[in-house]
Amino acid sequence: MNSRIFFNQFFMGLKLYVRRPAAMFWMMAFPVLMLLGLGTVFSGSGEPGFRLVWSQADGSDEPLLQALKELNVQVEIVRPEDADVRWKNGKLPVLLEKINDRYTLRVNSYLAAQGMPVVAMVQQSFLMVQARANGAVELQRIPLVMESPGGHHDGPYAAFLLPGLLGLNLLMMGVFSICMVDVDLRVKGIYKRLATTPLPRHIYLAAQMLVRLIVVIAAALILMLVGALVFGIYNQGSYLNLFVLILLGTACFASMGYLLASFAGTIEASNGIANLVFMPLMMLSGVYFSLDAAPLWLQKSADVLPLTPLLKSLRAVFNDGADLASQMPSIEIMLTWTVILFVFATRRFKWV
Amino acid sequence: MEHLAIEVKNLHKSFGTVQAVRGLNLQVQRGEVFGLLGPNGAGKTTSLEMLEGLVQPDSGEIHILGMDWRLHGTEIRNRIGVQFQSTQLDEKIKVREVLEMYSTYYAKTRPVWELLRLLQLDEKADAYQIKLSGGQRQRLALGLALVNDPELIFLDEPTTGLDPQARQSFWDLVRQLKSEGRTILITTHYMDEAEALCDRIGIMDHGQILQLGTPRELIASLHQPSYAELEFAQAAPDAAQFMQQTGLQVDVKPMHWMVAMQDPKHDLQQILTGVEALNLPMQQLHVRRASLEDVFLQRTGRSLRE
Repeated sequence: MNSRIFFNQFFMGLKLYVRRPAAMFWMMAFPVLMLLGLGTVFSGSGEPGFRLVWSQADGSDEPLLQALKELNVQVEIVRPEDADVRWKNGKLPVLLEKINDRYTLRVNSYLAAQGMPVVAMVQQSFLMVQARANGAVELQRIPLVMESPGGHHDGPYAAFLLPGLLGLNLLMMGVFSICMVDVDLRVKGIYKRLATTPLPRHIYLAAQMLVRLIVVIAAALILMLVGALVFGIYNQGSYLNLFVLILLGTACFASMGYLLASFAGTIEASNGIANLVFMPLMMLSGVYFSLDAAPLWLQKSADVLPLTPLLKSLRAVFNDGADLASQMPSIEIMLTWTVILFVFATRRFKWV
Repeated sequence: MEHLAIEVKNLHKSFGTVQAVRGLNLQVQRGEVFGLLGPNGAGKTTSLEMLEGLVQPDSGEIHILGMDWRLHGTEIRNRIGVQFQSTQLDEKIKVREVLEMYSTYYAKTRPVWELLRLLQLDEKADAYQIKLSGGQRQRLALGLALVNDPELIFLDEPTTGLDPQARQSFWDLVRQLKSEGRTILITTHYMDEAEALCDRIGIMDHGQILQLGTPRELIASLHQPSYAELEFAQAAPDAAQFMQQTGLQVDVKPMHWMVAMQDPKHDLQQILTGVEALNLPMQQLHVRRASLEDVFLQRTGRSLRE
């Protein structure tokens, strides 16, 4: 009897979910668009490597150009007036200028993180040129390797982004698809109507949870498919490990959604609360970029938020093929959050 | 079989400092259509929600079909049907789907096709519920209350906001349910609805039932079988002099006077004489028999729609 109600409730819930265009867009299409958009924008203009724009007024400077080439820096030489226009456009991280035999390196303060490695290469090349001019022995260089933190996969920015979006989807499911929907159902009296029937509450809620889980798994599969087809990035770890992390994340953020919903009396309030939690978590947890450049206290605080450890583990599994044992510190933080949120959510949950 | 469908003894419920229900007593017979009338804030909805098992009373006893909510909740839910004033459903659920979904909740059910025919929703069976008209949506809400073939049905202001035709077809449905031997507890704002449908009526205010009886008994209890309404072209004049002269009580409204008459033959003559003597600018005179609305006004001091 109960299992019949459960499956009926589950299939009906899934049908209704799929019929909501807004929900489908945010859960299915939005992450894919983010991956395509940001993944393409930050993929650079061609092959990976270091690029330098060099503004030269008077003839070429063969020795420095040669030294830069030896370090695999791709140099683009432009005239000063063109360089000026491009610099003011704000898209150049670094501009090397040579005026009357004097070199200047201009670093775009907005893009310092991107520019600094190139600066280091230019300085090194310049030292080499001087050493050669003085007839010194050839200088030794420390080789430079580009790779992901786990050292497994030298993926592009999209490879950093994709696991981030997998995690972000779970947060969105919790705060939008659970918190706001829960408040909506309560305010409209749909829960109250159900409460006059013999439908067992735990059956209803369990079916709702299964619907959400199926949706986030479908969204994750679509995202990974697009990642593979468009950017050639593949899951380096086990799919079971990914599944376990998604399951844990779903439990954590679903509890968070129900708990937040219990504080909102109206649909407008639920919208506010959802965004109040969603925005900082999204910005602080390193979905789109790493927080390395942020003050240490902020990094430490972000590390104990529930989304940061989830993303860390998802990246470790997806990009570096890590096993879950190595992720225990992150998993412990998530488990702690899940238990706390679940306990408070169940205590505060109101049907009527 | 228990002969009372609903038995309520000394029911109390407070929300903070507000006493919503204070000592409600009620007995509804099986097969009866019982109407609960009262202005907003009279405690109707709270009372109904306690009877439906949605709200816990502070004190008092409730027996539904002879059973206690605290002991037989699931059994009661299986045997009652509930329609809220406005039943909201998921926008994108279809008529047939929602009836089928609710059917899975109950031990005993009526076939969905039979309900669709009864509700005259056959043609709308595969439409999204959001596409239904107001009357169709209320019929669907009633349908959800009927999927379990209930013995007792609660209807909370089921025809509020419906056009006259939709109300008529809803009334026909209620009459049919009564003819099938079901017990119905209905709350309403409409006096004609109460007169048309209810075997007995309870007038409720301040969390209590003030008066109880058949519509005929309630009207008779006024001892004022008819009313005269005097309409004026401008704002109604002061009535002190008129009352002194005629010895009749006048209820002064913005544009008219209401005069309750115990003996129309005598009182009407008095009224006309008074109007003539004081040269009042009366334009129209209506005489009508007393209605439930008058009973209600007299018992609660306010109009139902206030």
